Amino acid sequence: MASFVEPLRPNIASADVALPGVRDYEQVDDEIIATLKPSAGWFGALGVSILLFLVGAAAWIYQIYWGLGNAGYAPPVMWGVYIITFVFWVGIGHAGTLISAILFLFRAGFRTTIYRCAEAMTVFAVMTAGLFPIIHIGRPWKFFWLIPYPNWRMIWPNFKSPLVWDVFAISTYLTVSATFLYVGLIPDIAVLRDRETNPMRKQILAVLSLGWRNSEPEWRHFMKMYLFLAAFSTPLVLSVHSVVSFDFAMALTPGWHATIFAPYFVAGAIFSGVGMVFTIIIPIRRFFSLRHYVTINHLDAAAKLCLFTSLIVGCAYLIEFWVAWYSGVAVEQEFFWNRVFGQWWWSAWIMLICNMVLPLSLFSQQLRRNPTWLFILSIFINIGMWFERFVIIVPSLSHEFEPWQWGHYAPSWVDVSILIGSFGWFFMWFLLFIKQLPVIAISEVKEIVPPKLRTHAAPHGVDVSGHHPPYGVATPGEFD
Amino acid sequence: MSQSTGSAGVKRREFLKVLGAASAVTTTIGCSQEKVEKLIPYLVSPDQTVPGVSTYYSTTCRECATACGVVAEVRDGRAIKLEGNPEHPVNHGALCARGQAALQGLYNPDRYRSPMVREGGKLVATTWEKAIPLLSQKIGEVRSTGRAGNVAFIDQHASGSFGAFLDQWLGAFGFPAHHQYDSSADLAVRAANSAAYGVAMPGIDMAAATLVISLGADFLDGRDAGVPMQLTFADARAKLQHAPRFIYIGPRRSLTGLNADEWIACKPGSEDAIARALLGAVGGTGGGTIAEAAAASGVTAATLQRLADELKAARPSLVLSGVSTPNAGVVATIAANINKAAGNVGVTVKPGEPMGGYDGAVGAAQMGEIAKAANAGSIPLLFVRGANPAYDTPKSMQFSAAMAKVPYKVSFSCYPDETTELCDLVLPSDHALESWGDAEAKPGVISLQQPVMDRIFDTRATGDVLLQLAQGDPATVARFPWKSYRDFLVSRFPGGSATFTQALASGMANGAIAQRSAPGARPALSAETPATIAGDGEYFLVVYPHAVLSTGAGANKPWLQELPDPVAKILWQSWVELHPTTASKLGVSAGDHVTVKTSTGSITAPAFVYLGIRQDTVAVALGQGHTAYGRYAKDIGINALDALGATWNGAGGVSLTQARATVTRGGDRSDLVTTEGSARQHGRGIAQAMSVADLVAGRFGEEAHHFPGDADHSFLPGLRSPVAGDAQGDLVDSTAKDQGMYNPKHWSGMAKRRWAMTIDLARCTGCSACVTACYAENNIPTVGARWQGRALRPGSASDDSAWDTRPGANILKGREMSWLRIERYFEGGEDGSTDFEARFVPMMCQHCGNAPCEPVCPVYATYHSPDGLNVQVYNRCVGTRYCSNGCPYKVRYFNWHGYGEPERRQYAFPEPLHLQLNPDVTVRGKGVMEKCSFCVQRIREAENLAKLEGRELKPDEFTTACAQACPSRAIVFGDAADENWSVAKLALDARAYHVFEELSTYTAVVYLKRVNHPGGAN
Amino acid sequence: MRRGLVAAFRELDAICDAIEALKKQKYDFTVYTPTPRHEIEHAVAPPMSPVRRYTLIGGLLGLTFGYWIAVWTSEYWPLVVGGKAIASWIPYTIIGFEMMVLVGALSTVAAMFIHSGIPKITATIGFDPRFSHGDYGIFVEAPPERLKAAEDTLRAHGAVDVRGES
Repeated sequence: MASFVEPLRPNIASADVALPGVRDYEQVDDEIIATLKPSAGWFGALGVSILLFLVGAAAWIYQIYWGLGNAGYAPPVMWGVYIITFVFWVGIGHAGTLISAILFLFRAGFRTTIYRCAEAMTVFAVMTAGLFPIIHIGRPWKFFWLIPYPNWRMIWPNFKSPLVWDVFAISTYLTVSATFLYVGLIPDIAVLRDRETNPMRKQILAVLSLGWRNSEPEWRHFMKMYLFLAAFSTPLVLSVHSVVSFDFAMALTPGWHATIFAPYFVAGAIFSGVGMVFTIIIPIRRFFSLRHYVTINHLDAAAKLCLFTSLIVGCAYLIEFWVAWYSGVAVEQEFFWNRVFGQWWWSAWIMLICNMVLPLSLFSQQLRRNPTWLFILSIFINIGMWFERFVIIVPSLSHEFEPWQWGHYAPSWVDVSILIGSFGWFFMWFLLFIKQLPVIAISEVKEIVPPKLRTHAAPHGVDVSGHHPPYGVATPGEFD
Repeated sequence: MSQSTGSAGVKRREFLKVLGAASAVTTTIGCSQEKVEKLIPYLVSPDQTVPGVSTYYSTTCRECATACGVVAEVRDGRAIKLEGNPEHPVNHGALCARGQAALQGLYNPDRYRSPMVREGGKLVATTWEKAIPLLSQKIGEVRSTGRAGNVAFIDQHASGSFGAFLDQWLGAFGFPAHHQYDSSADLAVRAANSAAYGVAMPGIDMAAATLVISLGADFLDGRDAGVPMQLTFADARAKLQHAPRFIYIGPRRSLTGLNADEWIACKPGSEDAIARALLGAVGGTGGGTIAEAAAASGVTAATLQRLADELKAARPSLVLSGVSTPNAGVVATIAANINKAAGNVGVTVKPGEPMGGYDGAVGAAQMGEIAKAANAGSIPLLFVRGANPAYDTPKSMQFSAAMAKVPYKVSFSCYPDETTELCDLVLPSDHALESWGDAEAKPGVISLQQPVMDRIFDTRATGDVLLQLAQGDPATVARFPWKSYRDFLVSRFPGGSATFTQALASGMANGAIAQRSAPGARPALSAETPATIAGDGEYFLVVYPHAVLSTGAGANKPWLQELPDPVAKILWQSWVELHPTTASKLGVSAGDHVTVKTSTGSITAPAFVYLGIRQDTVAVALGQGHTAYGRYAKDIGINALDALGATWNGAGGVSLTQARATVTRGGDRSDLVTTEGSARQHGRGIAQAMSVADLVAGRFGEEAHHFPGDADHSFLPGLRSPVAGDAQGDLVDSTAKDQGMYNPKHWSGMAKRRWAMTIDLARCTGCSACVTACYAENNIPTVGARWQGRALRPGSASDDSAWDTRPGANILKGREMSWLRIERYFEGGEDGSTDFEARFVPMMCQHCGNAPCEPVCPVYATYHSPDGLNVQVYNRCVGTRYCSNGCPYKVRYFNWHGYGEPERRQYAFPEPLHLQLNPDVTVRGKGVMEKCSFCVQRIREAENLAKLEGRELKPDEFTTACAQACPSRAIVFGDAADENWSVAKLALDARAYHVFEELSTYTAVVYLKRVNHPGGAN
Repeated sequence: MRRGLVAAFRELDAICDAIEALKKQKYDFTVYTPTPRHEIEHAVAPPMSPVRRYTLIGGLLGLTFGYWIAVWTSEYWPLVVGGKAIASWIPYTIIGFEMMVLVGALSTVAAMFIHSGIPKITATIGFDPRFSHGDYGIFVEAPPERLKAAEDTLRAHGAVDVRGES
């Protein structure tokens, strides 16, 4: 890439990532709106996604009729691919809110052009994850019994059960992140509305934009609301995956019953989410020709986040082993030995290599600034994080206290079909999204685009140049 | 459980209350049949039978020659449970797995539903009106040709009047007397006993012995007199420090061997040498020397010397023989001589109090004679009833081929077994539970058999059919004055009709049954010198009757197929036992197919690597490999008799250890269908044992620790019961407000009870009768049948190729539903030595006070009842299976398929098996979790009864199905909060421990440590 | 009756100056901007947004409801599970927290809707699509006699385009 031959720029604070390739507001509108034009490739991808989704749906119907026995469950392994995939997708769903909320509070400038993608990814990932507990249970048609709905028999769920916590955490998370996504979209929809020529679409957009007029009072309340939503979402993100981790930590099972689980899961979730962001954003910036919006510097900054979370996760793995040894509990020790060197060695090593070893490559700035490598790495991270959940769930259940009940586990064709189907379902929604609504937040990009001025003398001593350095200084990695 | 229907003198309103309580938990099982007439129920007469309330009939179990007394629980005209008759002198209320499974014979879906006649090469249904004339016509033809003398009748072996009746009938037509064929009987031992003691099976009192030596006698493997032998063994072991030390001598360590304190692995066929040495040691005549024995048996002289010394020192002792080599008779005779020389006769061996019903059986040798005659074409007409010689005689005898040469073959069997399938006319008999009969419990005690319900198919009691035939013939009618076979029984019953009717209530009467005379009334040892073990293979082949399926009769009952073999823990499959060293020598690992080839045949089955067998020996169990006998038996495993020749054990029985074999690895492999995860308990203290020395010295291992936050349970005596809030440790005060239902003042008023169970591992032999009892009581589905597997690809229900049709496919996925399982752990022997110990642990829901499964359930489908039960609410369960993940004991089972849905491929109760379902227990639906409920339906029934009678529960008034059945009396159930119940006392025994106590689950199941008697301990 | 003027500006400092001037002359007017700019906010110097109050109240309501539903249902039908206290406040904190976030977040959004008067039915009066594109805009409402002065002020400060609106 161009940026390799030129001298590398010194690392800049991620807050100072700028978009010199974007000169004025009109350019933003025109270029972003241009991405909404459907293409053949998009239709193809959508078709494939829908097909995969239908495969999964068919498998699920078959399973409901003939019973869960057709999945690969082999007691004592009572949880399998479905719960693994549930945790996997919930994890993916954490990057979005992290980037849009936490990085917003931290004023990390590099979030601006990637957060919309990440947020949409979050919503669809959580939508996918939410299906799996229902797919997983023995009587899916009774799933609503987990919800505390008023009924004359006064039968309520057990609020001591982590699964009920899940219901609350996941549904809250889905609602809040969907709201977050939508209100963030309102001004952009207003932009689309005003640029739209087709009266039909214009009408629809007008309704969706709720009559947003870009007036100063609207913006004032909007910014306040956005701040508080971010302030709420931040602890929410942390809580949701902590609650998911309680599903395991609250059971006596060796390998589950550990206090480290909450932080360990949260870090893992963010790590996997950032991985998925790479998987999604790198093709988008290429095919939508948005390289000057999502610049190499953006990827570089995101890669640092990825590396950081990877280090936390790796640390958590090692602490688990250490605790098992230090606890002196034979059951725990035997279990961890079995996890890494016994029956399940292969899955454990997939996890360790993908999540702990490969991301270390991000210490190299060359690789951090190499989209191709980031994309490949992100695939490994996705695989590694799926296997992390496999390693947590299957080996633990197959090697518990009661040696007589030690067992094995192998997924069946039904598990695999439904797993594939979940990817179809996720990408179906995501593909539909990126061609209907802007994948880059128009009005937020405009914030960092320098405004036109009559004089260079700043009136009223206001720094009209915004918070980024004066443009004109062409910095490598910002135009390719 | 209660023997009364509870309906006596009930006021209408109270009755409706019970009815309500009963129907609340009742699933309807089809309409109740018209009530059976002429039946005398256990305590109350039939006209007081109330819908939804059980009636109990006492009768006799005919699953084997041991005539155990059973009580059949009948609900709405359907027998739903068999339990031992507590007053019966043979089994004292206990009942083995095969006895429990008699119900699945009664309701077997493959039973003949009407008479069958061979037309165009296959059997087709016909009517009695056609069938009986047809038979009498055939009989007429035979007699007219003057060949009546060559007719043969093969009956199953059973004591009682039928033999005499049958001989009388045969005599009337000029036919020779019948043969009672018994393939599972140890004829050599019976013959030797008859010669030595004058009785086939002397009474045994192990409790009186200080040393028990078994020369291959597998009295705990469901052989002759299984239940009484297990009772006396358990009682002996329960004497703890005064219990006899038990030494097992044999090439393979059977279930009996695993219960022994020491195993001496001698070469097959060398038992006689060892026996002679022992005889010499106790100063008997004809004794041998240690040196000879050591040379012959491959056991060190030192070991044998120690053995001899121990025997000499032990007074009284007991030596039992049960070897299956050709010289079995010889060994048994020497064993008897040892007992005589050691002065055991009358003390531990009691010919004065023999066990009845073991005379008169013939073995495969007699079948050989019949086959010979048939081949010569001299048999014009062959009758078979119950016996199955076409299956359970050595293949090399070619019985089927010979039988095909018989012009006309008639069967009275009720199952489509291999022999009956060869017959030309089938006149299916009623099941024992549908018909009249009697048996000799022990000399001087008659055990009566009465129909407990109306017949479900168009079958008839063979006795009545024979009567009709005889009365149809003017020549014989005069000699058969009885209206029915029942009248015949009454006519010869001491005291006649009146006493007969009285006796039916208890199912027993004093008096003797007139025995039939020859042939073989008394088994005799043949004079000729026994053969030696033949062949020149590298390995000895040991064949043994399956501990559950016996010689194959049990194979058509899903409960028995689903019951893991107590030793190998393999089910729905055959296997070849190899020593680890042998396996590695052959390059075989568990599951690899091995071919065992003898001079007379060969068999191939997956290998099971087993410590308890000599390195120069391989072992195979009988019982599988049926080519007919119904959907549950057909095409499962192999029949070990295919590899055996016509070598007899000295009394006409097949010698099961008769050949050397070459063992080679087959190309194929199939996973072992086993319930075993790890055979080692990794020092986790699940099955605990202590040496008798520690017991005497009062060293009971570490005391139960006290945990922080542990509540004061003073308001509930007995077992520690949790107070709500224990988990926080902030409610240690029993008067705390937040006791929830545990508050004795709680409106439910149940908190005063704490249902609990103790299991004495010193008694438990691992026989697994409790498991089958649990299946029967709790409507547990069997899931191992070949059509119950999962889909391998999308496909319709009818398309077999889409489904996993391996027998036990679900078990391979660990999906067995056994609420109660017997775990078999090995201790020691890692080096492959014979010095290892087996420990059996019945494991079921521990009903933890602080149950890890409860708080994780999102819908309260499992919670803790105030009387200490861990309750599972099937209708509320949504199937998250989280409870199972939380359970350290892994005793929760999930309905992966619609086992209870008739329209499903995996349906577990094909008509009419569903008629056995217990109306008090829900049949669980697809997608819900289930587990041991401590037989909550029995608890509530007893409580309702007590309430109706306006009293409190009486201590030990009722018990669970497993405890009721246990032939070792190892399981005791009751209220640990009330010291008047025996469980409350046992829970405080010094040997008591909880499994995984360190997890602070406060289990309600208390195990009592097994006590071992290592050498020199006493 | 009042009439209005819609003025479009190309430059940020221009509109800031115009806002200052209009404020001096006591016109009431609405400012449009494609993206929120601090400069404009400073120039308009509006009162603090009241959204935060809704957030606080909503959050507290949610928290209370979460604890209440959990405790009340447990006490209503006391079932002992795993020997835990009937009403275990420690785990119920999770319910309380999630409900706090849910209700708090939704009431925040509701507040934004209420105070910025959306959804709006008519978006046309005094608005120009340019304002969501590249231009800043001001909509001045005044009696007819003052409109001329206003137009002069706007043009003087660099309005590229001024049109009347009624």
